[in-house]
Amino acid sequence: MNGKMSADELLMIVAIASYIFGALALLVYFFSREEWLKNLGAPLAIVGCVAQFAQLFVRWDLTGVWPLLNLYGSLSLFAAMSVAIFIGFAWRYKLWFAGGFVLALAAIFLAYGVTWNEGTMPPVPSLQSYWAKVHVPIVVSSYAAFLVAFVFSCIYLVKYYAERKIALSPRTGVAVSSSVAAMAPPAAMMQRVAAIDETPALAAAAEAGNPLAIWLQSLPSLAQLDVVVYRAVAIGLPLISLGIITGAAWAKEAWGAYWQWDPKETAALCTWIVYLAYMHLHTRNAWRGLRTNWLSFLGFFLVIFTYLGVNIWISGLHSYKV
Amino acid sequence: MATIRAYYDDTIRTFGNVLFAVSLLGVWGVLTLIGVIVDQGKSPSVYLASYPAPIARAIVRLGFDNIYHSPAYIAIIGLILISLTVCTFKRVIPARLPPLRPVKIDKIPLNGSIAVRGSESDVRERVETFFRKRGWAIRKREFGGVEWSFADKHNWARRGVLIAHLGFVIIAAGTTLYWARGFSGEAPVVTGQTIEIPQTGTLIHLNDFKYRITPILTKAGMVYQPTDYVSHVTVTPKDGTPRNMTVRVNHPIDVGGTLYYQASYGFAMTFRVAHNGVTIPALSQTVLQEGESLDLPGGSSSLIYDRFVPTVDKRTGEPAADPRVNDPAVIVTVAQSGISEGSAMVPLGKTVDIGQGWTITPQRYTLYSGFQYRYDPGIPLVGIGSVVLLVGLIVSFYFLPARLYVRVDPAPAGCTVGIAATTVKGYDIYAGAFAELLRDLQTAMEPPGPQPHPRTAEAYQA
Ligand code: HEM
Repeated sequence: MNGKMSADELLMIVAIASYIFGALALLVYFFSREEWLKNLGAPLAIVGCVAQFAQLFVRWDLTGVWPLLNLYGSLSLFAAMSVAIFIGFAWRYKLWFAGGFVLALAAIFLAYGVTWNEGTMPPVPSLQSYWAKVHVPIVVSSYAAFLVAFVFSCIYLVKYYAERKIALSPRTGVAVSSSVAAMAPPAAMMQRVAAIDETPALAAAAEAGNPLAIWLQSLPSLAQLDVVVYRAVAIGLPLISLGIITGAAWAKEAWGAYWQWDPKETAALCTWIVYLAYMHLHTRNAWRGLRTNWLSFLGFFLVIFTYLGVNIWISGLHSYKV
Repeated sequence: MATIRAYYDDTIRTFGNVLFAVSLLGVWGVLTLIGVIVDQGKSPSVYLASYPAPIARAIVRLGFDNIYHSPAYIAIIGLILISLTVCTFKRVIPARLPPLRPVKIDKIPLNGSIAVRGSESDVRERVETFFRKRGWAIRKREFGGVEWSFADKHNWARRGVLIAHLGFVIIAAGTTLYWARGFSGEAPVVTGQTIEIPQTGTLIHLNDFKYRITPILTKAGMVYQPTDYVSHVTVTPKDGTPRNMTVRVNHPIDVGGTLYYQASYGFAMTFRVAHNGVTIPALSQTVLQEGESLDLPGGSSSLIYDRFVPTVDKRTGEPAADPRVNDPAVIVTVAQSGISEGSAMVPLGKTVDIGQGWTITPQRYTLYSGFQYRYDPGIPLVGIGSVVLLVGLIVSFYFLPARLYVRVDPAPAGCTVGIAATTVKGYDIYAGAFAELLRDLQTAMEPPGPQPHPRTAEAYQA
């Protein structure tokens, strides 16, 4: 028993340590683009993620209680899924440069989750359902996808405003003025220019040796970043839809109605609406890019409110206290 | 007439505008969030106690205390449904299912052209074979004497949006059906008693109710975790035969389409009530559930049974956290004309004087089980709508319908193949794949060597 307990704790320590060191390596890689840092950070991300899933499994095996029924287990899965989804993206689209932010957030959420570790508790009757095994992982995975979208939206916004700063800088000469014209409304035109050609000012500034411009050029184009965000939301939105639907099915079985306007389910509906709005705005050329990325950036705060804020500040059927 | 027509056109234009739709979604989101933040269904005094007076008054006057059933909330969902319908017919169908038509290839951001040696018909044949092999469906049309080839990928998936929208409408229809024809209610039953469900005439007799509480020592102290609630009932549907059934949390029973759920439990009490030392039998036999009251005859006094305290802490004399019955008491309030005159905790079996010659003695407790029942004919529709909605989302997000416009024109040393690509999600999302497709086409068409369109080659080396 003791041996197994320490396996559980050991795996958790491995996960947190991997995330912290991986985050450091990849954060430095984000700025320096030293290849060896990526080669260090990427395996650490994978090790941390695997250790986390193993930890959840060991815990389940050890206690016989589905480990996701409290914030400790749920935040643990959230961190693991965020990293897992990110690894998938990084692998597929060569995006390791953003890993530092994802791993840092995963480490923070995981460490916060550990503070909610109250030991093993048998579940209250309403949580004794197979739906718990379906609904919780789906919802948590959707939040994780939104975290990945959030990170890339942050990078998009930083790149967008940094490019703008360079374009407006008087030192970049002729290229600047054409770029300023491109930056001026109408927004639709601005987006197309930014999306397809990047700003000519950026290229000019990079050629002139501006270190910020050189670094910005090492990031994917705004259009590519926007597509990454879209793809992450395209994972999160169907998952949160399925999460709400499985939650409704569970509620129908446990409480007598599939929809009770409980604060948690209502907040999830709100999050669904925000990302649905994102998807609709993304179909418009004029809104795709800057504005949709702001929405994905702000939307994540609603995700965190839905996930943690409602549990902590608002009591309801989901507060697990009854 | 012309004014009505203009008015109608304006309305359709507004409801067919995606930004208007997104604004409606925004309002829906804000109203929903208000309901999350503001506690719902409380009495005005609760809001006055929790918020500054002007905000509390605004909450009550604007109906934010019951926002999800307010006319504003229902109206916004109605407007969303109208907007969704108008948009689907006026915008989505024309945009997603466009007819095949010629385009100005170099005006489309995703474009390229390559030079290929060979006759026009031969090159056309080879190009089409190339795309067919890669899963593109080819259709040919002639416009103004020029032959065009249209290659489509995932053309069927253009209907994804329509499916998603349809799913939402079906869910809305399902919830409306519940409002129109469904019902629900709460039915507490005391052990040994029978109640009748008003809407169905079903009789429910509670044979017994049991609960299990597991004490667990955690880092934060002792926690009493409820781990089972179970009611054994005898159910007699109207005109039916009695059946013994068991209701548990997560395991409702179905009686003629109406579902009964284990929702709560409590302790019903009887009090011996005496006036000037004489027991009043009628009052003393009344079984009270928590929150119920007894009117005392000959005045305006009443006795309210507030709640049951399963365990009184011996040290402090206060209610303890342990929900198991160890050392029970009840909390009662005496009221005059509905206004509280004071509350007290009275152990079971102890007689207390409540004034004007009245004494009460909490005597016996009996467990009661709280059932929730619901008849919801909309559930199948909501279920189907959910599946349809999900399918629509998956089709929309994971299958990218792309269309290639291919034109083969004679050139001095063979032909020029001009290609432009459009997708239903703009150009950026397909830029990398298009660049790759062009490269592969160039390789397949060699000789002669590729001559990529300069703009394409620069812009889409993603
Ligand atoms: C306010 C009501 C709504 C209106 C007016 C509306 C309208 C639209 C329009 C115009 C498009 C873009 C079509 C195009 O450009 O080809 C679209 C796309 C879409 N809509 Fe809606 N819609 C509404 C609500 C919903 C709802 C409630 C759902 C959820 C089921 C939904 C799911 C989708 C999906 C999945 C797409 C495709 C997005 C993409 O391909 O990226 N819509 N909608």
